[in-house]
Amino acid sequence: MLSVLSYGRIVARAVLGGLSQTDGRDYSLVTASCGFGKDFRKGILKKGMCYGDDACFIARHRSADVLGVADGVGGWRDYGVDPSQFSATLMRTCERLVREARFTPTSPVGILTSAYYELLQNKVPLLGSSTACIVVLDRRSHRIHTCNLGDSGFLVVRGGEVVHRSDEQQHYFNTPFQLSIAPPGVEGAVLSDSPEMADSSSFDIQLGDIILTATDGLFDNMPDYMILQELKKLKNSNYDSIQQTARSIAEQAHNLAYDPNYMSPFAQFACDNGLNVRGGKPDDITVLLSIVAEYTD
Amino acid sequence: MFYYICLRRRCRSGSRGEALGSRRAVELGQRAALPVTVEVEQYAKEVLDFSSHYGSENSMSYTMWNLAGVPNVYPSSGDFTQTAVFRTYGRWWEQCASATAPFRRTPRSFHSRDYLELAFEEPVYPTAVEVLETYHPGAIVRILACSLNPFSQNLPVDIRWEVLWADEPTKAPSPHARQFSPTIRPINFSTNLLRLEVNSSVLEYYTEMDAVILRGVRERPILALYKMPIIDMSDLSDSEEELSESGALCCRPAARHNLGNGYFDKLPYELIQLIVSHLTVPDLCRLAQTCKLLQQHCYDPLQYVQLSLQPYWPRLGDAALAHLQPRCTLLQRINMSWTGNRGAVTTTGFCSFIRACGTSLVCLKLSCCHFLNEASLEVVAQTCAGLRELDLSSCDRLHPQAFSHIAKLARLHRLVLYRTKIEQTAMLSILTFCTELRHLNLGSCVMLEDYDVVVSMLSVRCRGLLSLDLWRCRNVSERGVAELVAGCSLLEELDLGWCSSLHSSTGCFQLLARGLPRLRKLFLTANRTVCDADLEQLSASCPGLEHLDILGTRMVSPAALRKLLRSCPRLRLLDVSFCSQIDTRTMQELTSLYPAISIKKSFTQ
Repeated sequence: MLSVLSYGRIVARAVLGGLSQTDGRDYSLVTASCGFGKDFRKGILKKGMCYGDDACFIARHRSADVLGVADGVGGWRDYGVDPSQFSATLMRTCERLVREARFTPTSPVGILTSAYYELLQNKVPLLGSSTACIVVLDRRSHRIHTCNLGDSGFLVVRGGEVVHRSDEQQHYFNTPFQLSIAPPGVEGAVLSDSPEMADSSSFDIQLGDIILTATDGLFDNMPDYMILQELKKLKNSNYDSIQQTARSIAEQAHNLAYDPNYMSPFAQFACDNGLNVRGGKPDDITVLLSIVAEYTD
Repeated sequence: MFYYICLRRRCRSGSRGEALGSRRAVELGQRAALPVTVEVEQYAKEVLDFSSHYGSENSMSYTMWNLAGVPNVYPSSGDFTQTAVFRTYGRWWEQCASATAPFRRTPRSFHSRDYLELAFEEPVYPTAVEVLETYHPGAIVRILACSLNPFSQNLPVDIRWEVLWADEPTKAPSPHARQFSPTIRPINFSTNLLRLEVNSSVLEYYTEMDAVILRGVRERPILALYKMPIIDMSDLSDSEEELSESGALCCRPAARHNLGNGYFDKLPYELIQLIVSHLTVPDLCRLAQTCKLLQQHCYDPLQYVQLSLQPYWPRLGDAALAHLQPRCTLLQRINMSWTGNRGAVTTTGFCSFIRACGTSLVCLKLSCCHFLNEASLEVVAQTCAGLRELDLSSCDRLHPQAFSHIAKLARLHRLVLYRTKIEQTAMLSILTFCTELRHLNLGSCVMLEDYDVVVSMLSVRCRGLLSLDLWRCRNVSERGVAELVAGCSLLEELDLGWCSSLHSSTGCFQLLARGLPRLRKLFLTANRTVCDADLEQLSASCPGLEHLDILGTRMVSPAALRKLLRSCPRLRLLDVSFCSQIDTRTMQELTSLYPAISIKKSFTQ
């Protein structure tokens, strides 16, 4: 038998829940970034928002907050191409598209497609490839729209639990889906996935939700429970505390990556597929940590 | 003493005097309690109109829309995607056979080749205009301000354009970024619509701009401190009266003092006609007011066989067209590019002018004429049966349906449809009937769905084609090229810039070179597949090559380039920008070996 108090609590929760859906406030993402390039250059920002061959961007627009990560495929280095150029240019182009309002908040795949098209419009013959993950918060509708191509991805954490996550897209082991521009003649031999192949998703979001967008350097080295542990330490939606948490996550992942005895998610997956390996996976790590808060100009 | 110094300063400072003067007034007149004028600084809010640009129609790379907002690149110098770039530079396009003959009577002060119009948020009385140029600066030749507020709902009856600054095209000493801030004239209306006109014919490469800043004051500057502009003889504000003066103007007697007119009237008619033929159109109208004899000469239709109204675009309206009508019965070539926008010329006025004067028309230039609609093109098609040359470039507001009427102009030799919205069916219809086409420009025609079909039709119907511009034609393939080569073997100029669907591995470029021995101009801009084998075929088969653009390919080596330069003695323009194998050392070596060739190598840093 329900007591009056518990009944009252249920009613209150229902009413408040109903109220929050007709909430007229605009939301925003307070985002901090941190990362480490693979070659021990701790957090040195090469061109701004670049960590090794990874790149990321954070952009604000009147109607949306957009962020993204891109993981440059390192194999190009063997052919004399700098892998960071493609990912960095892709992310900068996405940022510019958002700033100049050449996007629709409900279609992050559109941002990716436009950015890829713009890369081809550059006089400079760009080469390389990268994964891409883009997260868009539509302020008014309180919805997040995402698209993910490859093995970067995002987590949405609410009340200490993961409520949404992206799926990895791989062709085969250690070969993610990727956008690429190849030299002429070898186009057949180079993996080139079109932006339309990205996974899209949309979902509602609440104040206080945490969104973690990162490249595979994080997810391959830190399992969910460790990430959630770090996120528990995040108490408010202050930029400084978010920055601190992002940094601690990235640092921990960076340390684990070089631990030869640690059974990382990457090693676990390899063992499951018959490869007897142990230890972390040294890789570029990029972490974008966001909290959903109210929009202030 | 202090006051005297301020007065002197004010006189010397000229057109900046108004801004300085207002500050002086504040200093002077603390007792007089003059209002403090606040200078407002604005970046452009929106790019409203422009005559051309380098980039693609749905892109933000090298397009005019980059001029809005804050600068992205400045103060860095270089060839960046975030800047605004026009389609052409230098004199290269004028030197081609596909260039149209210049119009006589172009006033010497009119240098503009391209323009762009910018809207700002708030109308101000301008005190300064600053242009942040990031690459090969120096192209701006005129800055004008408009009295219309483009964001207001109502369209005022009189729209005035005032020249804030004008000069000849100059080349800045270095190709690096600079802030261009000319001294502008004060005007007596507030403006938030600026127009920049450019001419890059003396520049070495594409000029690029990042942002435009408008500085001005909200309140009208005090008249006493306001310097009246010098009346310029070529000042447009006079010309409207002249152009609209009808024959009702009574003549003045030849001479009050009865000195005679120096036997001027004894000269043969043709000689006076010859003398008068050197006057510009406004001067012609002014001269007509002096006496009956000169009026007869100045209104003689033989003076109006060629008419360029482009330099007078701010003043040309329906009334002026109506008054020109009786004189233009023998009109053969008319340039109305840039005229009539914002309601100055209506389709009724234009149609009546064409009906009256268009029967012997041979050349009609209507670039950027946004007043055009389907009805006007229909009238043109019906009246100007002998039309040889039609220029509709950048008429991007023209409805696709309008182009179908062009098919009636069966004698067309030259057709420019750059940046128009022509569709596939209209294009094919034109190609079916206009079999005498010699020069065709389909650059940036984004609504054409299948270029291979268009090119195929071209090769069947227009075998006399001399020049073809397919700039940014996104889906022309090797099949189209093969048919073009088979059908239009007389082709001398071919622009396939940014046609990404062409791949050298199909052999299309080699086929092109073999099949078009008369080739003088070939643009393969940003085709990343151009390789040594293609250059070698060009060296072997196209000795008459004069202009070549192979920007952005990684597959061309210095050796192949040297061979090409040896084999093509007439080469004058070679663009090897962003060709990764061609380094600066090779560039310098080739430049010194072949001083007659302009070898272009652009840079981003």
